[in-house]
Amino acid sequence: MISSKTVTITEALKVIRSAPAAGQTFDLAIACGFTPLHLQTFLTAHLQQNLARKVVARTALFGNAAGMLESLAGAQPDAAVLVLEWADLDPRLGFRETGSWDTEAIADAVAGAKQMLNRLCAALSRVPAGVRVGVCLPTLPLPPVFHTSGWYAGPLELELEAGIAAFAESVSRLPGVSVVNMRRLAENSAAASRLDLKSDLLTGLPYALPHADAVAAALANVLAPPPPKKGLITDLDNTLWYGIAGEVGPDGVSWDLASHRQIHGLYQKLLAAMSQQGILIGIASKNDPAVVNQVFGRSDILLSSDRVFPVEVHWGAKSVSVGRILQQWNISADSVVFVDDSPMELGEVAAAHPGIECIHFPAGDDAGAYAVLRHLRDLFGKQRLSDDDAIRLSSIRQASEFRHAAETGSAPENFLEQAEATVTFDYSPSAGDMRILELVNKTNQFNLNGIRFTEGEWHAAIGSPDTFLAAVSYEDKYGKLGKIGVMQGTRHDDVLFLNVWVMSCRAFARRIEHQCLRNLFTRFGAGRIAFAFTATPRNGPLQTFFESIGAGTEPQASITREQFDSTCPPLYHKIKELTKAAEANG
Amino acid sequence: MDDLNARLIGCFSIVFPDLPDGEIPKASTENTATWDSVAAITLMNVIEDEFQVRLDLEEIAELNSFDKVRTYVQQQVQ
Repeated sequence: MISSKTVTITEALKVIRSAPAAGQTFDLAIACGFTPLHLQTFLTAHLQQNLARKVVARTALFGNAAGMLESLAGAQPDAAVLVLEWADLDPRLGFRETGSWDTEAIADAVAGAKQMLNRLCAALSRVPAGVRVGVCLPTLPLPPVFHTSGWYAGPLELELEAGIAAFAESVSRLPGVSVVNMRRLAENSAAASRLDLKSDLLTGLPYALPHADAVAAALANVLAPPPPKKGLITDLDNTLWYGIAGEVGPDGVSWDLASHRQIHGLYQKLLAAMSQQGILIGIASKNDPAVVNQVFGRSDILLSSDRVFPVEVHWGAKSVSVGRILQQWNISADSVVFVDDSPMELGEVAAAHPGIECIHFPAGDDAGAYAVLRHLRDLFGKQRLSDDDAIRLSSIRQASEFRHAAETGSAPENFLEQAEATVTFDYSPSAGDMRILELVNKTNQFNLNGIRFTEGEWHAAIGSPDTFLAAVSYEDKYGKLGKIGVMQGTRHDDVLFLNVWVMSCRAFARRIEHQCLRNLFTRFGAGRIAFAFTATPRNGPLQTFFESIGAGTEPQASITREQFDSTCPPLYHKIKELTKAAEANG
Repeated sequence: MDDLNARLIGCFSIVFPDLPDGEIPKASTENTATWDSVAAITLMNVIEDEFQVRLDLEEIAELNSFDKVRTYVQQQVQ
């Protein structure tokens, strides 16, 4: 859930009171120089809504944002926020101090502000790994401290703003740090109504209540964003382009300025960029395939056909097309968005695929369509891109070709034998590799127990010296699948306890799961593997695998080496193991 | 119990969830440990929400019991 709705203080208090009594709490540290008061209340409420967990927010002595931030180096909250205002950079830039506003004093304040920003940047770089930090830059108007009229941006004020911009750019590159988008915040909280000077002077909270709510919602969204959607299925006529290709012909449809249909061109550009960034783009259109091919053959098309897979173009029901695309992608409907200009088609698809998000593309309404483009970015946006994002489309195509070859080609055994597959087990993955946690948190079907981790919890889980962690990658002659699995556990005597085991659905039917167990038995010399298994509504494929190898699930799922060896089918993969020692030896 | 009383009790119960409804009319800063400055400000904002009035933060120190809050709110909403 994205926190976007404005809430009142009463509603926020009710949300906090209704916190889940059971389960782990989410520990939040608030670093700000003013009395957080209702900002704390709103932040707790918004985060609690995003996380569906009880949030416990704590603050330190007010008036010292930098000190609070520096104290995090020795603490391990789940997350922290740094809420900056001008007075945190120099008290003379606030309203509660009596320091001089003389020209020299303000020049000195601006110089001091830059030093404070350096200190804050250093403190942020020392925040322990696993603690996500949300940063909100100053939101309030500066007092009239400069010698210029208010409508004039003088050099000192611009120098101050440049310092803030440089600070934001710098910290946004730190692992775990997320900076609130100030332009988006301005859309939700008008600049002129943010400051409540009376509240600042009497209570120490400078924010008007709606502004405190807007800042809190923005911080909650950068700290605990909803999981991004994975795939988008688009209609063609009056959506990807303007016009009905079957009626006006392939040269009659348009998406450019000259035809006043640029909004469709912008939509094409957005989809092209999303595809390049690892989001799956498919097409479901009631159309003549030959005509559609001709449109995609035009030199001015902005979304080339190689960025799209699969393409379902025929005269059958769109719900059937969507069903086939979901099958090819092997992801669930709730990870997918369907865009069409026809409310009837949207309704038909929504009814057939519960959970899919159906979005109306308002052809002919530029402002409405632009709002759709922004909404799509919000739904699919990721803070950081990984190497695996870049190969996702080719990986899906590869999986499809693999399935097709397996179904239509030589006998399955021969097919696997000739696939020239390599499975790589990386037992010393980089601590900053967020793809690993992403896999753990978004994999449903082959997932040992469905447990999700915050960054802090994950770092704690893998930080213990007796814990092992392996990232599993796969490639064969059809191409690379990239990182597709994660295993985490501990060894006690003869037993290996596997706490986390996930594998991407793209990697099914290659016996990689068998190779994972074989590798664990071989590497650790264990006699038995015990699994922290919990049946979930969606981990049926893992349960089927357990049945196939005879791993009982009661009272605890486990398998001995003898049981495994007797049930394991032939494995043809080449194995690569990466460890710290291997890296050290070059 | 009149409507104003009932709505005020609702406001108090949001800010002081541990206080039984029956004890709220007798509540004051003297006998309610959780009625600190933060709770006082929060209470004023909750009352503003409920009655759609703007209260004066400067009055906050004087509003130290349910009765005084009730009298003050009654004046503001009339």
